[in-house]
Amino acid sequence: MARFLRNLFYRVSLGNPAYRFLFQPGPPDEVVVIDCETTGLNPRRDEMIAVAAIKVQGRRILTSDAFRVVIRADKPPTAESIKVHHLRAQEVALGKQMHKVLPELLHFIGGRPIVGYYVDFDVAMLDKYVLPYIQAKLPNPRIDVSAIYYALKYRNAPPGTVHDLRFASMLSDLGLPALHQHDAFNDALMTAMMYVQLRDMQERGVQIGRLRNVQQHIPVSA
Amino acid sequence: MQGFDATNPPFDRLLQHELDELISSLDVGYYRPGEVIVQQAHASENLHVVIKGSVEVRESSSLRLVLGPKDSFDSRAVVHGAAGEDFVATEETLCHLIPRDLLLGLIRRNPAFAAFFYADVSRKLAAFAEARQAEGVESVLRSRIRDARFGAAVFIEANATIEQAGRTMRDNNINALYVRDGERIGVVTGMNLSKAVVLRRLALDTPLREVCHFDVVAIDADDFIFDALLLMTKQDKRRLAVRRDGAFVGFLEDIDLLGLFAGNSQLIPGRIERARSLDDLAAPARDIQAQVERLHGQGLKVDLVADITSDLNRRLLHKLFDMIAPPSIRQHGCLLLMGSEGRGEQTARTDQDNGLLLGADVPAEDLAAFRADFSGALESFGFPPCPGNVVVSNPVWSQSVASFIRQLKSWLLSRDPDAAMNIAIFSDAVAVAGDPEHLARAKRSLVELLRGENALLAQFARLIETFSTPNLGVLSVIMASVGVGVDEVDLKKAGTFPIVHGVRTLAIEKAVLASSTAGRIASLVEMRTLDSRFGLELVSALRVFMEFRLRSQLRAIHRGRPEQEALVRLDEITAADRDILRDALRVVRQFREFIRVHYNLAAF
Repeated sequence: MARFLRNLFYRVSLGNPAYRFLFQPGPPDEVVVIDCETTGLNPRRDEMIAVAAIKVQGRRILTSDAFRVVIRADKPPTAESIKVHHLRAQEVALGKQMHKVLPELLHFIGGRPIVGYYVDFDVAMLDKYVLPYIQAKLPNPRIDVSAIYYALKYRNAPPGTVHDLRFASMLSDLGLPALHQHDAFNDALMTAMMYVQLRDMQERGVQIGRLRNVQQHIPVSA
Repeated sequence: MQGFDATNPPFDRLLQHELDELISSLDVGYYRPGEVIVQQAHASENLHVVIKGSVEVRESSSLRLVLGPKDSFDSRAVVHGAAGEDFVATEETLCHLIPRDLLLGLIRRNPAFAAFFYADVSRKLAAFAEARQAEGVESVLRSRIRDARFGAAVFIEANATIEQAGRTMRDNNINALYVRDGERIGVVTGMNLSKAVVLRRLALDTPLREVCHFDVVAIDADDFIFDALLLMTKQDKRRLAVRRDGAFVGFLEDIDLLGLFAGNSQLIPGRIERARSLDDLAAPARDIQAQVERLHGQGLKVDLVADITSDLNRRLLHKLFDMIAPPSIRQHGCLLLMGSEGRGEQTARTDQDNGLLLGADVPAEDLAAFRADFSGALESFGFPPCPGNVVVSNPVWSQSVASFIRQLKSWLLSRDPDAAMNIAIFSDAVAVAGDPEHLARAKRSLVELLRGENALLAQFARLIETFSTPNLGVLSVIMASVGVGVDEVDLKKAGTFPIVHGVRTLAIEKAVLASSTAGRIASLVEMRTLDSRFGLELVSALRVFMEFRLRSQLRAIHRGRPEQEALVRLDEITAADRDILRDALRVVRQFREFIRVHYNLAAF
């Protein structure tokens, strides 16, 4: 309800009417999977340094038509984030500036629901740039793969069950291959693979067994 | 796209820009359990490469094969417009999707890549055999000098005369000698001697010191062959001194290198011919076996390897027969090679099927001695004993033609699988020594005995049902679900035997004289018993099995596990190899069906 009211507000206050399409429903049965690489985990302070978006049409992941870009941030990446993303200041400097990326990205996303792993973080990160640009936050519905996974695996779990929603754990639990992580495109692709599989399991009403062995040695951050 | 394995055949054949083009066009498809991804007889817009999950290949509801990660399907549906089978996801499955138009473009531009998509097993296999050839030369260059066969080191004192040197060379059958002059060591070659005598007109008693040279170009036995080639080229030498642990151990000549590239099969017949004793024969007998591995390593096609090996083995047995057989047996006997040896399809030695037919009575003690000596000699050469005891030492396999024909009759009427197997082995016989007319007589009788006897022929054909052709990968699903093992295919039972035996039965029925399977198929095609295209497919499939079998035989020998010689472990071969094996097994199933209908085996 709150989001509905907020979206209503933004629709009215939308600065740039050219972006009204964000408020229309996207093509049926399509979502867009998004992953952002950032200089840190605080959307207020940190900057986005790379973003990848992949459309999913029904059960087909449209990797041939992916959106992937390195962003030239105002603030140089910290040593810590370089370690995680392997994007050096030099490469970031070669990237595009945000005001050039945003129009393309917003058109790419359109009215489609946004899918992600802890999607609220990615959307908050995007909103940081979108809000000043169109005077509205992204109104798109959000789908969090970890939430679907949680529902299929831990709903009705006895108290005391250890909840493991780490990216690598979910990946291996679903039998998906681990691609090199912390590359926005790879992360988005792995998220998309999880999404198509989880959504199908949800449709079929399949639960994920809690007794499966999960490899737990890979620490993961968003 | 990251995550697409470009080293997975056939994609490893693509050039970098082709690969980039492919990768940028990939989508990923998801299929739920039970979903039919590609339907039999339908076209497919995409070639699927499995990322995760498993896909069953079904043909009219029976399971043929299970595909897993890195396997691709179905080239026939994409390239030829009609899938051979149904492809059904058995678990949550993700696949890379390669668009049809892109794939066809790559196939047009890149012939090496295209080979994977040929519809005919025969063309596909030929293309793969060629691809292996390049590796052959490479592997020779990377082998060590000590593995090459080079001339021995013979030393002579510097005081010795030119004439003595010439005689020493002749006696040792070599063209160069090391010359010891106090501390120094030099080399003298046959060419040095000729030049000294002919051009410089030196006397024959000139000491060698005058004609030899001391700037010896040497190479270490542990160096690579390509080092030797480089050194020969740089120094413009046709011969290098070979050193091991500081001492000269021989000479490596350019002709020795040639032998490495071509194998030295051309030298073996001479050595067999020259052998004067059993001991002399033992060395070439061992070399025949070593030869198989070398020829195969150099990328020679398996049917040629088998041809060369059979020829050498036949020469060896012929020579052995001449050496061992008493005059009475040489006069009246005919030595047979049977089974795979008879068909000329044996590569690595797995058994020995041999026999003796006698045109007239011979003294009992001659026969007894020959039986024991012949089999004993073969065993000492490293021929494994025959599990079915089809050897001359077994009286059943060394008797007179007349009694052997009676034996054939009783086998035919006995309806016993072992007896049928004996007939099968005999029908592949060739004569390697002695009077071939004895064999011809026995074979004519066999054909006569079976002429028009459809029930007997069917009985004989029914051996083909002994082993069923497996559906690749099916076992693994069951086994994996209980957590044990991976699946293996027994190439002999699943592939070779059904083809060989089916063709053999048809050959007997049609009185075809050839003994090799390929030769029989050629005759059957000529008689229109087999369709020419199908005949080609059968020959190709047989070669696929022979090729895979040879590989696993060599591996089994290296691992010291000879009992595994016919097994292929599916997880140890590439996706492209699995694909070929799958095609070959499909041909076998078609052929079984043909035999079943032809002999009305359903009636049994």
